[in-house]
Amino acid sequence: MANRAASDRPPIVALIGNPNTGKSSLFNALCGGQARVGNYPGVTVEHKTGRMLVANSAFKSIELVDLPGTYSLSARSADEAVSVEVLCGEMPSVARPDAVIVILDATNLERNLYLLSQVLELQIPTLVALNMWDRLEKEGMRLDAEKLSDSLGVRVVCTSASKRIGIAELQSALLELLDRGPGADSQGILERSALASATFPEAFRNSVDELEAWFVSQGCPLQRFQIERLLIDDSQAHSHRVIPKRIASAVADRIGQTREHLASNGVSIPLFETRARYGWIKQRVAGVVERQAREQRVSTSDRIDRWLTHRWFGLLFFIGLMFFIFQSITGIASWPMDGIGFASQWLGQQVESMMGPGPLRSLLVDGIIAGVGAVLVFLPQIAILFFFIAVLEDCGYMSRAAFMMDKFMSALGMSGKSFLPLMSSFACAIPGIMATRTIENRRDRMVTLLIAPLMSCSARWPVYVLMVSAFVPKQAVLGGWVSVQGAVLFAMMCLGALVAIPVAWLLKRFVFPGEPSTFIMELSSYKWPSFRVVAMRVWERVLSFIARAGTLIFVTSVLVWAAAYFPGDHSLLDQTTAKLETEQASPNADPAKIQAWTSQVNQLKSDLIAKSFLGVAGQWIEPIVRPLGWDGKIGVAVLASFPAREVIVATLGTIYSLGGAQDETSDGLAENLRSATWPDGRPVYTLATACSIMVFFALCAQCVSTLVTIRRETNSWRWPIFSFVYMTTLAYLGAWIVYNLMSAWLVP
Amino acid sequence: MALPHPPQAVPVEYLAPQAEGVVVDLCGEEKNLHRLEELGIRCGCKIRMLSPGETCLLAIEGKKMCLRLGSTAEIFVQPLTP
Repeated sequence: MANRAASDRPPIVALIGNPNTGKSSLFNALCGGQARVGNYPGVTVEHKTGRMLVANSAFKSIELVDLPGTYSLSARSADEAVSVEVLCGEMPSVARPDAVIVILDATNLERNLYLLSQVLELQIPTLVALNMWDRLEKEGMRLDAEKLSDSLGVRVVCTSASKRIGIAELQSALLELLDRGPGADSQGILERSALASATFPEAFRNSVDELEAWFVSQGCPLQRFQIERLLIDDSQAHSHRVIPKRIASAVADRIGQTREHLASNGVSIPLFETRARYGWIKQRVAGVVERQAREQRVSTSDRIDRWLTHRWFGLLFFIGLMFFIFQSITGIASWPMDGIGFASQWLGQQVESMMGPGPLRSLLVDGIIAGVGAVLVFLPQIAILFFFIAVLEDCGYMSRAAFMMDKFMSALGMSGKSFLPLMSSFACAIPGIMATRTIENRRDRMVTLLIAPLMSCSARWPVYVLMVSAFVPKQAVLGGWVSVQGAVLFAMMCLGALVAIPVAWLLKRFVFPGEPSTFIMELSSYKWPSFRVVAMRVWERVLSFIARAGTLIFVTSVLVWAAAYFPGDHSLLDQTTAKLETEQASPNADPAKIQAWTSQVNQLKSDLIAKSFLGVAGQWIEPIVRPLGWDGKIGVAVLASFPAREVIVATLGTIYSLGGAQDETSDGLAENLRSATWPDGRPVYTLATACSIMVFFALCAQCVSTLVTIRRETNSWRWPIFSFVYMTTLAYLGAWIVYNLMSAWLVP
Repeated sequence: MALPHPPQAVPVEYLAPQAEGVVVDLCGEEKNLHRLEELGIRCGCKIRMLSPGETCLLAIEGKKMCLRLGSTAEIFVQPLTP
């Protein structure tokens, strides 16, 4: 505790456990509403850190770190490596935890004790939370927790996190553990002779002793556990942080020689470890667990799985569920969207009524309110999408979907493990790309990471919804059950995933060739989704969307406004606008004058924007985008949206607000787009143009944050550049094909 | 030559839906076997087949696990007669 006292920081307590042991519920129960999601510097896997407030103690609070669920500390994937690095104190900027809470599933004790046997080797004060205590009886089991505690040599607290049972006892046991400090007699640290590693073959232990001395002689002292892992583990997923580059080659030689020596002494690496640890576990649980002999019975979960994981019905259910979700989103979101749109217009009108025409008013109304408001109007749709995704994740359905998808993905040389990151990418590609860290096979991980940005993330929604609501007929088919707009929206959401199939096949065939990987995944139990968990996830994403609108989109809106406003003499426009507004406010307004001045204002706005920086850029870009059916304004808006794709809506909002297309009957941006014309009077936007824009956005890599995330995850600029080039090429070709096909054949 | 596993043992994918068996042998690449054992799939554990196929769904000591090992590993089980 000396280090902690010196730095005056709160104690750090890590939570670790197998997947599906209720770890997140326990974490939430311990830190209440104080949880937050954060990134450790240098790595991008999301961790939850939370603060547990403490009364009547030397500490005011405790920092809880929720580590990714893992079955062992033998790190095979990047997320498992993070758990090892945090526990070993190898993570930069994160101090070694002062204590660890290991969460065990009481109904599957032996397997869960495997991880505990490894954590105990780290010599950190350890506390065991025996979770799902309430399910023991249902499973026909009896467990003597006191006896288990004596047998293990660490304090065991029985909990049922989902029902908030045992939380106070766990908190008090944790405080007691921290108060004692890491002295030799403290609870939760076993003598070396009591650890599972004491049962490892003598030849192995001697080799570890020798290596320990060798590492000291090389000026790189390692913990005994780290040396054991270097010898046993094949993947070496985290060794790059432990071993300095200067001795990496010498270490590899030394480890190779030691393994050969051990093999010649009959030590079978790595299998001796599991056998030794399970031997240790068998001794510890002897007389602790009793299982009643029960007849095999088919549970409700089995009956549900029989249908939901059925080869054909399961697939149909999945497709039907996705279709239902997108249909529901279009239906439910319409009224709150109208509300936000109305609020945005009202705000603009209030500003106009308070300020005379001029650059400041134009900046506020045409730049900020029109730009940011045009994006915020899609907030309800995004919240509803995240609600559905959170419900599916929390109820346990997603792992079933991954199981079904494995059959399909193995044909592409990948595995069902890629499904969950890809599904997350429908919400946002960034967490999806970070979730690829759970994929053990590097080739699979790279392919998944490179196709994840093709999934239709929520930032594409504003573009789709704008185009669909403006140009796709608002009608229902199949007896009124299926909305055409919802069906088109669903098709656009599927497009990226469909294109990802040949892209994945090509990548796997030519860029990352190799044997198909194996697939092992535990399915979580079905449960009713927790309102709190779902609400938290939706709230986090909504806040993130608002933050993006308030920062990146705000700045872009201002820049686009400036590019569309300058250079140009707006004095005549301001004078005419002032006269028009005075006339409109007059009780004896003359409709003829209003009409004449409105036309003049629109003409002046149109002339000014054509001569602005943006207008000139539009003329430059028009020849490139003309084959896609776009005019210069769309071209400029698309160009401005390369940092973040949803910016196009804000940009179009600003361009058409400044460009004078609005009139008294205008009902927003959709109406402005419908009324935009080429110089010869033809409408700019047709169904073909709208589809061309949507296809471009479905396939293009317009998100700097995603590209930066790919850079961080691959530690190279090669892959973000590769993603950008292949996706932009695909987008241009796709948009060109769709526009020309629809213009020539489908839409006369 | 000694048989690698008991004569009545069958690969796990041969179990019929809802049939049970006890793991009697694990064969294949050692790193994959290490992983399977860490996950609790080891000799002596009871397995119930829920959904057979190349990617199969199993109940292992009450927990559901989906599995596709391909040619990298094989789990042999002794079927339990009902």
